[in-house]
Amino acid sequence: MKVSLPYLKSYLLLFLSIPFLIFSSPGSASAADIGNCLLCHKYPGMSRVDEEGKFRLFFINESIFNNGVHAKVKCEGCHTDITEIPHKPAKKVDCLVECHIVEPSSEKKFSHKSVETDLGQSVHGKIDSAGKSKKYANDFPECKDCHDEPLYRPLSFFKKVRPGISEASLGRCRVCHKKDEFIYRFYNHVTTRLHKSRNPINIAEVCARCHNDSQLVERHGLSTKAVFSYGETFHGKAARFLDERIPDCLDCHVNKGESAHQMLSHKNTQASTNDMNRGKICSNIDCHPNASPKLATYNVHAEFNLKQSPAQYFFTVFFIVLTGGTLLPLMGIILLDLIRRFFPNAVIKRRK
Amino acid sequence: MKNLFYKIYMLGFMALTVFFIYIIWEVTFAHIIEEYYGRERALEIGQIVEQKKHEATKTSFEKIILESDEKIKHYLGYKILEERRIKGHFHHIGFQIGPDKRSYCVDCHGDMPHDHIKELRAFLNMHAFFVGCETCHVKLEGAQKTRVYKWYDRTTGELVESPVKGSAPGAYKAKIIPFERVDGKLQRIDSEDRMAFSREYREKEKSLSQAQKSRAKKLIHKIVSKQPAICEDCHQKEASLLPLADLGYPKERIDSIMSTEVVGMIKNYTKFYMPRMLHPGEELPKVEEKKAVKSEI
Repeated sequence: MKVSLPYLKSYLLLFLSIPFLIFSSPGSASAADIGNCLLCHKYPGMSRVDEEGKFRLFFINESIFNNGVHAKVKCEGCHTDITEIPHKPAKKVDCLVECHIVEPSSEKKFSHKSVETDLGQSVHGKIDSAGKSKKYANDFPECKDCHDEPLYRPLSFFKKVRPGISEASLGRCRVCHKKDEFIYRFYNHVTTRLHKSRNPINIAEVCARCHNDSQLVERHGLSTKAVFSYGETFHGKAARFLDERIPDCLDCHVNKGESAHQMLSHKNTQASTNDMNRGKICSNIDCHPNASPKLATYNVHAEFNLKQSPAQYFFTVFFIVLTGGTLLPLMGIILLDLIRRFFPNAVIKRRK
Repeated sequence: MKNLFYKIYMLGFMALTVFFIYIIWEVTFAHIIEEYYGRERALEIGQIVEQKKHEATKTSFEKIILESDEKIKHYLGYKILEERRIKGHFHHIGFQIGPDKRSYCVDCHGDMPHDHIKELRAFLNMHAFFVGCETCHVKLEGAQKTRVYKWYDRTTGELVESPVKGSAPGAYKAKIIPFERVDGKLQRIDSEDRMAFSREYREKEKSLSQAQKSRAKKLIHKIVSKQPAICEDCHQKEASLLPLADLGYPKERIDSIMSTEVVGMIKNYTKFYMPRMLHPGEELPKVEEKKAVKSEI
């Protein structure tokens, strides 16, 4: 069986972390199922077809949910129309609702409301700067087009940089903090935010849902199937090998210090990808600090096809033909030589 | 002897050369040819896929969850969570169970067959995930009655040991099937004969006349009882329909299934939302009629 190194590493880490996961996972301790919703919703087959013929699955995987950022949010925090059990069919969740969690820095009830404003002003907003609905407005993403339940990706910094919770770190936490449930949650939350909340390949996959859709690309006059062409680059190939340090879509397309919801069109002078700012992307301190701004002038999203980039296309074809045209005759000559050695006295008689 | 080894060596070398020729061909000229045709084909396929996406009504649990091609791997660092993706679904699924290949009911009725009673359908579908249709929809009487139920593997159809211990509730790779007594012998109710008849009907359905279809359907559904088993038939401590202990349910799970929480909720549902549940098929009087009846009293 072929096992790639990153997988091997992941399996090894998983194996090593099994005892930890079994004996020390906050798991059910952090459940916010005060309404006992899981009495029914823990069953995988909890499903039906709705009036519009759409498949609806009502299963909640408790162990996965408890390792997500919403683990402390009560079900009713999002499904606000459910006030009693048994309940009637629930309404669609409004992600912008104020939930019972208090945001500690402002001490106000938590809400994703600000994201709506950011997204509305971004390249992915449905309304243009003149306040009119953009063409093909339904193509623009809503929360769940990009987000499923965000899961923690904790980090360990003790001696070795490896993913997962460090028991040594927890020991330090326990000096001051007494509740393990709090310690795990806090550790998970903070360390998840200290690196990418998703692996670069997962980020690329999310963007690909739209940006690899050739019809959508054509409809919006985009120059490339962005994730396909990203996959053709060195960065894209490294991402396939699960390299966490490699830049994903957001590293280039979002200004440092801002969120993915604030992504701007490359035509906007404030955008990181605007011609005026592109040079700073590659040469930023976390990537290639000594790089010339010219590094960013190459065609990042080249698909190497005849239509989009004929120069690269012919260049690539030339080298493929050169390689094949050199090596194949060479191999042919070697093969003929071997045949002669195998049949040293063989003669093809000429017809008279 | 030396000559023989030399010949073998030569043959090996030749095989290696041919292998290299193949590899070089594949990564050079074959790649160009394949890419050329591939691009044309991809465009065609892309258009067809988009068209199908709009046309398709993928409402089968099997198609969407159990056999879906849309797999996703979440790289969490300490583990990889691999699951099926449902467009627009927020919560993670995180389980992989094969579809029920044995049940011949599913062939026609699908694997989410319950949709009549709005408030109950998801519950019934949830049970149908690990309880064979015949368990509730066939009521064996007299000599046929056995009270024997066993688990069968969803994929192979073979009888298997209870999967309950060590699995998350309801997430079993097996389903419960009742047994009947035929000529004094125990026989699973989804017998080979019944399966063969049902599947032959499916194959020949289009060529049958309405009368033939009607007769075949009657024969297939001959064992189905008019009134299916209801929630309380199992969710009760005394004389539960299913012998849960025999089916491998540990005591704590049985206690949970029979608990006040579950039984109480069933009662609430029945009382508030599903008064028809105990009298399926009967039309309920409308509100005005109810009022009229009250005023008459």
